[in-house]
Amino acid sequence: METKSSSSSTNLVDQSVCPGDVILDLSNMTNQTIKLGGGLRQDCDAISVMKAGRLRFSKPNKYWVENSQKRYVPHAEDSVLGIVVDSRSDNFLVDIKGPALAFLPVLAFEGGTRRNIPRFEIGTLIYARVVKANPGMNPELACTDASGKAAEFGALKDGYMFECTTGLSRMLLSSPTCPVLDALGKKLSFEIAVGLNGRVWVSAASPQTTIVVANAIMNSETLSGAQQRIMVEKLLERIH
Amino acid sequence: MAGKGGATPATYSPSPTTNRKKKPPIFKEDWVRPDGRGFHQCRPAFFRTGAVNAASGSAYAEFGNTKVIVSVFGPRESKKAMMYSDIGRLNCNVSFTTFATPIRGQGSDHKEYCAMLHKALEGAIILETFPKTTVDVFALVLESSGSDLPVVISCASLALADAGIMMYDIVASVSVSCFNKNLVIDPILEEEIGQDGSLMITCMPSRYEITQLTVTGEWSTTKINEGMQLCLDACAKLAKIMRSCLKEVASDSQE
Repeated sequence: METKSSSSSTNLVDQSVCPGDVILDLSNMTNQTIKLGGGLRQDCDAISVMKAGRLRFSKPNKYWVENSQKRYVPHAEDSVLGIVVDSRSDNFLVDIKGPALAFLPVLAFEGGTRRNIPRFEIGTLIYARVVKANPGMNPELACTDASGKAAEFGALKDGYMFECTTGLSRMLLSSPTCPVLDALGKKLSFEIAVGLNGRVWVSAASPQTTIVVANAIMNSETLSGAQQRIMVEKLLERIH
Repeated sequence: MAGKGGATPATYSPSPTTNRKKKPPIFKEDWVRPDGRGFHQCRPAFFRTGAVNAASGSAYAEFGNTKVIVSVFGPRESKKAMMYSDIGRLNCNVSFTTFATPIRGQGSDHKEYCAMLHKALEGAIILETFPKTTVDVFALVLESSGSDLPVVISCASLALADAGIMMYDIVASVSVSCFNKNLVIDPILEEEIGQDGSLMITCMPSRYEITQLTVTGEWSTTKINEGMQLCLDACAKLAKIMRSCLKEVASDSQE
């Protein structure tokens, strides 16, 4: 969605906003386009907020509302952790914490043909990519990247999966590396898969390490970078 | 109250005739409200989101002694039996705890509250953003002390915002009672019993839109105008409290 506007940035950027808040008045703006991301809508001559969260801006002209919630709204190209709930002849039904179950076609794997259809039991944890996410339709997943390679996608064996908010999963996937993962990675050896749908899978050599990593991640949501490092140090003191 | 051998003892509840307070002398000039508030003064409001872990979004509200908790689940797939819909569905349910009212179990017969809550919220939610799915809103009145529905509506609006449901604006609701010539805002239970009429407004303050207006009893045109203005002013103030609650949570979780 594009709208005429000037380059003047709103003073609400990086501030908390609520439904109904007007972030931009377009009546006195001309000559430039702005792009509206999730959580914003044009209401006559104003850009208003539709959901609670933080207003973000990326140069040159994109605004969106970033928020943390328990439910997940599927978007194309998101990496998600899904649980197989049913198996059909043509596809698997996968729960990705969205409004509807997602379809994972049996051929959506690297070198997928009718002869080598994968066998997934109900309850299998899968790391997949959202291919299609249209409103009113069930999302479609694939266990390949855009070039058709398996990459990191596929079934996740062993390990421990826990659920968190979408905000925390976004923080864990942010660049530069999230302080909690950075601090844990320096002292412990573990494998982690984070889905943008608010699911995290951790696998380590010992259950003790797995529990420490999972607890550290779950506790880190409301902490600053420095607080996250202190928290990790205190957790590691107890196990060494 | 021991029952006969093996029979479950009946639940004790005080007789409705006992402990019934006399109606306040509302027609006297020097009448003061039972809780000491001014006629145009609301009860202190308290809101908190994230009260229920299992829900997509939830909120707890306290207006004086009226305490309400609302949980929002979904959007989730509509039942197979339902017809296809290219807009989402809103399902509302209001229930009372058995101990919510002075007379045990009295609150459970407010069936019309569900329909009124639905009407109040329907206009504020952008239903097109979740086609084929349903959003469930479950409100539980923990303690009823008058003006229950406005508190439920305001709390439900906050819970929906907490769940990340797309909304045009936050919904705030306030009621006014009429006593002869006096208008009393945010009435408590004792005042509701003796009122001549009541007016409840549910609005979206940022958009200056009313989603629901309920009037009972006899009102003159001037009284209705005065009552509506009172409610709208109170809604604007209430919305500020609700916004600050939401913004507090957003800044805590994303610092």
